[in-house]
Formats: sequence, structure tokens, C-alpha cells
Amino acid sequence: MKLADFQSLFQESVLAGSGEADKPLLKKLRSSPRGATPETLLGVYQSGYRLRLADFVSQDHPGLRAVLGGEAFEALIDDYIDQRPSRDPNARFFTTGLPDFMRDCPTWRDDARAVSMALFERAMVDAFDAADETPLAVQALAEYSPNDWPRLAFDFDPSLTLLELAAGTIASYDAAISEEPPEKIDAPAASDDVEYVAVWRVDHESAYRQLEPDEYVALCEARAGHAFGDICQMTAFQQAGEIAPERLAQCLSSWFQDGMIIGVRVRGEDQSSKTPSSA
Amino acid sequence: MERPAPLGYGLGLRPVYYDEILASRPPIDWFEIISENYMLAGGKPLAMLDRIRADYPVVMHGVSMSLASTDPLNVDYLRQLKALAERVEPAWISDHVAWTGVHGVTLHDLLPIPYTRESLAHIVERIQRVQDFLKRRLVVENASTYVSFVDSEMSEHEFVREMAERADCLLLLDVNNVFVSSFNHGFDPVAFIDGVPAERVVQFHMAGHTDNETHRVDTHDQPVCDEVWALYEHARRRCGDVSTMIERDDNYPPFLELLDELQHMRDIDARLSNERARSAA
Repeated sequence: MKLADFQSLFQESVLAGSGEADKPLLKKLRSSPRGATPETLLGVYQSGYRLRLADFVSQDHPGLRAVLGGEAFEALIDDYIDQRPSRDPNARFFTTGLPDFMRDCPTWRDDARAVSMALFERAMVDAFDAADETPLAVQALAEYSPNDWPRLAFDFDPSLTLLELAAGTIASYDAAISEEPPEKIDAPAASDDVEYVAVWRVDHESAYRQLEPDEYVALCEARAGHAFGDICQMTAFQQAGEIAPERLAQCLSSWFQDGMIIGVRVRGEDQSSKTPSSA
Repeated sequence: MERPAPLGYGLGLRPVYYDEILASRPPIDWFEIISENYMLAGGKPLAMLDRIRADYPVVMHGVSMSLASTDPLNVDYLRQLKALAERVEPAWISDHVAWTGVHGVTLHDLLPIPYTRESLAHIVERIQRVQDFLKRRLVVENASTYVSFVDSEMSEHEFVREMAERADCLLLLDVNNVFVSSFNHGFDPVAFIDGVPAERVVQFHMAGHTDNETHRVDTHDQPVCDEVWALYEHARRRCGDVSTMIERDDNYPPFLELLDELQHMRDIDARLSNERARSAA
């Protein structure tokens, strides 16, 4: 048998797990001098494969396990391993596709809280090893005259992810990673309520903070490159009943304090800010 | 045969020990990293590695080069590996006599091959291409295996010897892997060590494994067992002054226990050195 054919056969056997499909490969195995059956020895690779991948998912998704409960979580892992074999040589990225798999899969896509938790935990993992940048202190704004403020735009840390999640996701996550996590987190009553979250990295560790709806909109627009003055004009701020520039300045200050901002620039006269999408 | 200078007694760098290493600067001569764990855009792993690299020599050990796979070499992977090597400046880069998947799939395991002329020609050609790409000699390790194949045309050590000579690569002799595979397949581990070209061996791996009675599995979650220590002595006698280290990847003990294992290694080597001095006198 050619090496390529042998490797296809071996891989099929590992992916399928022990069963009828093993027969052609078992004929190719030498007998063990220690009395182990060929099925047992092949099983080292078959079971090791699933255990290893399951461990990657478990490490990255303690909150998802808590939300689903152990049995359903293991069923999800089995589905994911069966349907989305790893294609990245770096094991770190095996779990990256899990939230998208859940959204595509009829078994899991209607569980909004589980999908939300998977999205949140993926953002936490992604933030952990995102590219390095140096955050700016709020004092960086002192370089700009008040006349420039409406045209200021900001660059954000590459670790930053903004999420709209099912309400209760963060409370469930906090409970799941607490020192004495419950066996299973009680799911809140199903609703269309949402919560907004920023995930980024601070001092080498992933961090997260819930956002008010207006801050979430402002942060989305600011990260899209829209200027301070344009964001002030947005409906979200007009409806908040506050003086828009002050509320936005408050948000901006917290983004600096949180270490989310890595650059400030003045949009040029010839480079007008695009119209904010939610204005 | 020009070989890199021996580094002494090393340890596999694992995140669970970052704080202890940075706080205590332990008496370890060098660290080995799992390359893929640092093939990232940024963040804590690379920051910790930079700090540790400032004080210790480092070698890069990969698990995903898939040298024996019949898939095309993953050039994107090799580019990332090369970029990491430019940052780390490792003493050498290693991977395994193994494949990890075909048809674009990766099983995240070091999978066995039949030791045939075809497999040999295939891996030799790929090692040469990797060496050309990385512009350095690759160090290739014998893997633990749990199955062997009726199609094999030579022993594992014959395969490894010819591979190293034809590809002109260096070798990482995993003493625990020799023991595990010899147990599982019924060959003589001493004959294996005697059969590989000692002048190409630049590094030893030492680790623990799991004894399942009818077969042993390379789990790196136990201390090194007595049989493997005995085999280490033989490897040391045969290969001389070679960089050596402990791998631990699960069931992590207090850091001091790993330092004790390194000290045990030093004690064995000191005894062997004294024996050589006495017999030379």
C-alpha cells in the first residue's frame, strides 16, 4: 500500500472512532508482543484524538459547560469534533469555529444563551493572544486643540471585541468561573433581551465590561473610524436625554482608562467621516 | 559533523511555571518551548517567552510540521515558524518522525508510519526542503508509537539512521519514546540507541509515561521511571555530552520536583564522568 493510501486509511479510522471501518487498517497491524489487541492499540490514537480536542474545547469554554450542563456540553463537543475536524496546525485555533458551528447547526442554533456564551468565550480567548499594542493615556488628548475635537478619530487595541449577547450571559459566566461554580447555571427565562459587552486585554489578561446601549453604539462607531463630532450627532445620543458631547466625553474617558485606545488622529478636511450607521 | 554546542540541563517551558521561573530564576541551563504555543500575534505567552529568553537559551520544539505527511508542506506554518525563530533565536529547531494529518485535516497527534523505502525517501525529501526554507539544520525526534505495520521493511532505528544521514539532519533522541516503543513493539531499546548515529544526536528528551500493562503510552504526566533512567545512562555513555531535558505536560508537580529530576540527571552524569576518569587513569 502506498504511503498516501495508508495515511488516508489511518486518518479515516481515527476520525470515525473504533468500528467496522477499522478492518482494512487492522489487517495492516503487526500483533503485539504484549498481548494487546490491535483494536486496543489503534484505540490509543482514536480515543486520544477525541480526548485531546474535547480538552481544548473544555479549557476555552467553562461558561458554556455551565450553561449547557455536562451531558449536553459533551454532546456538543462530539458534534463539533465529528462535523468540523481541525484544519489548523495550531491546536489553539480548533475552538475558534465553535460559535459559528453552533449558529449553523439545527441542534444548537436556537439556544441563544449557549450561542452567546460561546461567542463571549471565543472573544476572551482571542483577546488573550491578540497582537500587542501600547494603550494611550487620556493625556494624549491634550495635544489637540478644542477646535479639533469634533474631527478626532481613534484607533483601538486589536484585542477589542464588541458583542451583543443574550441578557444574562455575563452573570452566567461570572458564576461559572467563580471559586465554587454551581453544577449547572440556571438559564434565565427566554426573552429577546440583550446585553452589550466589550472584551479586550489588560496587562496580559483578557478583560470584559458590560456597556450601556449608548456606549456600545458609540464604541462601535468610534472603532469603525467615525469622528467624535459625527458620533455626537447620532440618534442614540440624541435620545438619551443628555447633552451628547458630555456623555460621549465620559465614554471616551473610560475607553482611555480601560486601555482600549492606542491612537488618536484628526480626520483631514478632505477625509470626512463617513455617516455613522446608526445615526 | 558539526553540532551545536551542548546547552546542559533543560526543562520544557510550560505556562503553569511562568511565575515561578520569573520570580526565582531557577538553576536551569536552558528551556525548550513548544513552538506552536508561541506562534501567535501577541499577548502573554510571547511576553513571558521574551522575558525568559532574556536570561536563558531556548530551543524550539514543534509538534505540527508533519514531516511524514503526504499532504504538501504547510508553507504558511513554516513562515510562522521562521518568524518565531527570528524572534527567539533558538539554539535549534526540532520536530518529529511523524505525520499529523492528510487532506488538510490535522489530528493533533504524532502518528506512526510504516518504515518503508517509500516513507524514507518521502521524509528525507521533506526534511531537506524544510532545512532549505529555514536555512538551518533541522533536529528530528523519534516518536512514541503504539502500532507497527506489516508493510515495514526496516526497523525504526534503521529508518532513523538512514533518514538522518540522507537528509543530513540532526537528531533528538527521546529516551522515553525509545523505551515506550520498544515495550509496545518488542524490540531491544539498547539496540535502538546503539543503532542511531550518535554523532548526529544533539538533544535528549526524558519524560514519564503511563503503564497500561499490555502497552505503554507517552503521556508526560509522570516522573521518569527507573527503566528509562537506566536507558538514559546507556544513551549518555553512547552519545556523550548532549543537551538533555525533562518534559512534563500534565499532572504538573511542584516546580521543585522537576528540579529534583534534573538534579538526578546531573548526578548520573557526574557518576558516569567519574567512572570514565577512573577507567582512563
